[in-house]
Amino acid sequence: MPTVEFEGNTFAIDEDGFIDSFENWNKDWVQYVKQQEGIDELSEEHWQVIDVLQDYYKKNGIAPMVRVLSKLTGYKLKHIYELFPSGPGKGACKMAGLPKPTGCV
Amino acid sequence: MATTEPKANDEPIVLDDAIIEGAEKLSEEDIAQVINDMIRTEGGARFKAYLNTCMSCGYCSGACHYYLSRDKEPRLAPAAKVKQTLGEFVRKKGRVSRETLMRSCEIAFTDCNLCRRCMMYCPFGIDVAFLMLFVRRVCHKLGVVPRYIQDTAHSHSATMNQMWVQEDEWIDTLQWQEDEARDEIPDLRIPLEKEGADVYYSVIGPEPKFRAQLIYQAAVLMHAAGIDWTMTEFPGWDNSDMCMYTGDIEMTARLKKVHFESALRLRSKRIVMGECGHAFRSVYDVGNRFLGWKMPPIEVVHAVAFYDELLAEGRLKIARKFERPVTFHDPCNIVRGQGLHEKARSVVRQSCETFIEMEPNREHNFCCCAGGGVINCGPPYKNKRVKSNRVKAEQLMAAREKGAEVVIAPCHNCHGGLEDIIHHYKIDIEIKFLIDILFECMEK
Repeated sequence: MPTVEFEGNTFAIDEDGFIDSFENWNKDWVQYVKQQEGIDELSEEHWQVIDVLQDYYKKNGIAPMVRVLSKLTGYKLKHIYELFPSGPGKGACKMAGLPKPTGCV
Repeated sequence: MATTEPKANDEPIVLDDAIIEGAEKLSEEDIAQVINDMIRTEGGARFKAYLNTCMSCGYCSGACHYYLSRDKEPRLAPAAKVKQTLGEFVRKKGRVSRETLMRSCEIAFTDCNLCRRCMMYCPFGIDVAFLMLFVRRVCHKLGVVPRYIQDTAHSHSATMNQMWVQEDEWIDTLQWQEDEARDEIPDLRIPLEKEGADVYYSVIGPEPKFRAQLIYQAAVLMHAAGIDWTMTEFPGWDNSDMCMYTGDIEMTARLKKVHFESALRLRSKRIVMGECGHAFRSVYDVGNRFLGWKMPPIEVVHAVAFYDELLAEGRLKIARKFERPVTFHDPCNIVRGQGLHEKARSVVRQSCETFIEMEPNREHNFCCCAGGGVINCGPPYKNKRVKSNRVKAEQLMAAREKGAEVVIAPCHNCHGGLEDIIHHYKIDIEIKFLIDILFECMEK
């Protein structure tokens, strides 16, 4: 598995750029993905999405539907895509340290 | 920051832990039994005729994006992929090693998109997609399948959709999108379980899971065109089918049965499906046959043909054309699958100011390299996928140079595949669905 060095961390990543394991996630990873995704500024709102994704993943072992994400954060669908231009399944899951969702994504 | 790229050699290596785990449980006897049973039963005359007719003329090589993109690597020629897999199965009378099986699995699942371009150039019309699916079927029966796509197949069998969507979540998502759309169009509805509607609309799992805006847009389009339509609140709403690509034809038949039966139960006049290629193949060509029907038991219309019909009838009107220059990617399953290329162009020309063709195009178009379940095999094969489609990148770059700023691709897998190619080759072009364009340009 390829690795990336970032701020003194060594992260192992798969070919889609997702972290090898949720266990290895830390806050520096978020900064790394922010660069990769071309997001200018991380806001409280990004962090809220990350928290919800991680909480849901710990309980269910899968990424939530965007509907659930919207309900738990209070953001409309459009706003979630503004925060994460590559979408909840790619950008947001990647940042939160979840594996790449399976399916046609 | 340093990125360690995987070694840039193209040597075959099995990366997928699920393939290794599956193969470790097998003896040569197990493998031989399944292969020989399959050749005798499901292979039949078609299998024999294809294998015996190929005379290694090489026409298929030049048709394959894997072969062309990887500097004409001989083992990536379609005939060579057959030789390395089924050729070995036959030569060894089924008694192949676990290594050959794993290698065959990886070739059939990740070195071929089942796009059928080579079949078109073959002087005998040998269907390499059928042959690669035959290998996949052997792999499925032996429990040797890449992990990511098998997870999706599991989701299909547990939930009848590909993304583990629960029944209440599906309904909740539709009502949520109805609510959001009513901010824009106050009397909009997403009708559920309406009997006798003209249109039964079905989508694929990723739409409710992550891309719910596509359902929103479809609802606005149905409203604008005054369509009498419905969706179902029960399983059957997902028309997609990764089991078709893992070789699990029993599950494919179950999925298609639930899909057809939900439309028939509601006495809908026809099924209209969203912009997806493989789902169309599963409903229009493959799944109906597994169920014993030559043609689907109810008319099936792909979104592209539906939009064209609405524009021709004047039910859908373009308020102002999309200004930025566009190009169009022909998805294999609707173009080589049903010949929808002219209808697609008709929609594009009616809705966009400037249309630039990619070369080659229509039924000669190159696959996105995501199709046939290859993108569904997940991250272990992404680099191979983008490297193996340099020809698509070159097509896109040429269209970009002629001025195209947007590439329209009416298929989910094509979106995923093209997005990866655009990033990898750093092409400054944006991808859209056809409905993204119509939504922006139509009279609402």
